[in-house]
Order: sequence, then structure tokens, then C-alpha cells
Amino acid sequence: MSAPFFKFDYFGTDVSLIIAFLIGIAFGIALEKGGFGRATILAAQFYFTNMRVLKVMFTAIITAMLGLFFLSVIGFLDLSLIYLTPTNVMPNLIGGLVAGVGFVIGGYCPGTSIVAVATGKIDAVVYLIGMFFGIFVFGEMFPSIEEFFNSTAMGSVTLPQFFNIPYGVIVFLVVLMAIGAFTAAEWGEKKMANKSLEKKV
Amino acid sequence: MKKFFSNLSAEKKLAMFAIALGIIAVFAGDPYGKNSLKINAKELSLISSDEIGKVKVEDLADDIIKSKSDFRLIDLRKSEEYAKYNIPNSENIQVDQLLNSDLQRNEKIILYSDNDIEATQAWFLLKTNNYKGVNIILGGLNNWKENILFPKCDCGENPTIEQKHKHDKLAAVSKYFGGNIQTNSSEENLVKNEMPQLSAPTGIILKKTLGKKKREGC
Repeated sequence: MSAPFFKFDYFGTDVSLIIAFLIGIAFGIALEKGGFGRATILAAQFYFTNMRVLKVMFTAIITAMLGLFFLSVIGFLDLSLIYLTPTNVMPNLIGGLVAGVGFVIGGYCPGTSIVAVATGKIDAVVYLIGMFFGIFVFGEMFPSIEEFFNSTAMGSVTLPQFFNIPYGVIVFLVVLMAIGAFTAAEWGEKKMANKSLEKKV
Repeated sequence: MKKFFSNLSAEKKLAMFAIALGIIAVFAGDPYGKNSLKINAKELSLISSDEIGKVKVEDLADDIIKSKSDFRLIDLRKSEEYAKYNIPNSENIQVDQLLNSDLQRNEKIILYSDNDIEATQAWFLLKTNNYKGVNIILGGLNNWKENILFPKCDCGENPTIEQKHKHDKLAAVSKYFGGNIQTNSSEENLVKNEMPQLSAPTGIILKKTLGKKKREGC
């Protein structure tokens, strides 16, 4: 038995949808448990008063990375069958910026907004309507931005390919980066907490 | 040391675990391993069929009779088919196992399957993995059956001396590999050909057909 199961035909499309549903539910629960269903926590990230988003995201990244890396090293997983989103430098930069601004203003990212809707947050419902409106507008104006959308294409690249560094070294560096970020986040949070205490005093 | 660890918070333990895995990762190798390879699209499009090393069945038969052993003969078919019949001195390695096998990059490798298609696929796989001397048997096992095991003699009722020589050679080769020669006039004979048994002696069957051949004057 080897993964990815769907690509190796262990089950068909119908079953894959059921599995996707179950994984989606689990993902939603994890987000809610992580506190990502509350806009205040999410927005606080951008004011550096609460670094939870950074910590959770980096934890997710290194957990997934180490898992994928070692599963494929032992031969259980065929990494070459995992879909990689192609990179388009400029569209990714602009799109990331737009999504980031939306994140700060709305207090949610697309996934967390669904979680917040599930727990009955009204602002999240508004956010969701806005999101679908945005999707609609994007779809309608797509022909006029299609050229830009496909520009500066780099194909599906990974860091090890791009820098021509062995995979293991990149894994190690990302782990170090994450630990560094955790430490800095904890330190920053303490400082912020002290500051707000001083203010109150 | 023990105390130091037990005093650490859960997050710190997890962080240390992550760092340890990260350090192991440096030495763990390439996760893509043998499953992916880089192919130069330009190079790929320029590979001509001339570049595929091809071995004629006659030459291979010669080499086997002379018991040459400077090559590895690889049977790519399923192991059941391999068990039923295979060319002498061949090894059974399926395409998906090729890269995990003990084949060396500097060995002369001769691949065969029932026909050229699977062999060419395997050829490409090995070639793109920098195996140097990869060859395929032209026409595969089907060709081997047709021209070595059960060759047809094109000589008529009154063969010339040359035709006779050729016939004798074909007959000798096919006998060596446990097959038998076909004659033009014995069409019913063609249908009955069975692949030589791997271990059982084939002498008896041979004698029969050889007798037949004489009668038919080829």
C-alpha cells in the first residue's frame, strides 16, 4: 500500500468526495480548536499582540513537511504524485497582498470564515457573502486579467529545486526557521503584554 | 539530564523533537528518490529509434550457444509467464522493479518482452536513469519464437545446397533451444507448436519432427 491513495486508485471519485468531506470537517474542528474561528485573534496577528496565527501556521507547516518528507523517504508516499500549485510570481504577489488586506479588514481568511459561520458569527456571514461576491467579480473580469494571471510563470517549483539544495537541508532550515519564529513570537508577546500593562498602570 | 528534560514544557519538547527530525532529514536522502527524474525535453524529442540498441534474435542465439556471458538478459514479463518459458540465461525483472534491481549502469543489458513495446518502455526508463549499454531484442519473444524456436524453412521440394545448409543451421539452432523447424508443406504442424518445457528434455519431440522433415523432402 502506498500513498497518495487516490492517485493509486485505492478508491474512486465518489469515495474521495466522502473522504474530502471528513477531512474538511476535521480541518474545521482543528481550526476552531486553535482559536481561528474568532476574528479578534486572527486580526491581532497583524498588530503583533497575539502571535497565535503565526505559531499555528508554522506548526502546521513543519508537521506536514516532516510527515511528508519521512513518509516518502521510507517509500510509503510518492511525492512526485502530490499536486503542486504552479508559481506565477507577480500574480501570486498581488493576489497574496489582496488576500492579506482582506484578512486584516475582515478578520478572517476564507477557510476560517467558514469555521466562524459554523459557530454562528454574524461578521463571518457578512465576510462569506463578500467572499462569494469577490469570486463572482473575479470570474466576470477574468478575461481581462487572464494575461496577467498567467504571466511570470515558473511552473511547479519547490524550494530545493529552486535553490538546488538537497531536500533534507531545506527541511532542516525550515524547522530552524519555525523554531526561531516561535521563540521570537513568544518574546514579542511578552514584550507587548508588558507594554499594555504599563499603559494600564 | 533526565531532570532537564522533565522540566521542559510540552512545547519545548515538541520543538526539540522537530529539530531532531530536521537534523535526521539532512542525512535521510531525497524524498523523491527513484520515483522522479529530470528529462530534458529537447533531448527526449531528439531520441531517434537508431539510438535504441537493438539485438537480432539470431545474434542473441549465437551468443547464447557460444555461452557468451558479457551481458545481462532481462525478461520483463510477469513471473508466471517467465516460469512457463524464457530464453536461456535470462533473469526475470519487471519494469517497475528495474530501478531497484542489481543491474549496473555499466553493464550490457538486453531487454525483452513479448514484443517491442514493453522493452522500449523499459529501455527509456533505464536510459533516462543513466544506464549506458541498454539494448532490446528486436521483435521480442514473438520474434524469438518465430525465427529461433520454430523457424520456417523457405526451401522447396528440391533444395539447393545453400538452402540445405541454411536449413540445417536453422534446425540445429532451434533444436538447441528445444524448438523445431517448420516446413512449408506441413501447415497443420504450425498450430501445434508448444513452447519448449524448461526442464524436461525435448529430445523425443525433436526426433519426431525431424523424421517428418525428412519425409517431406525439404
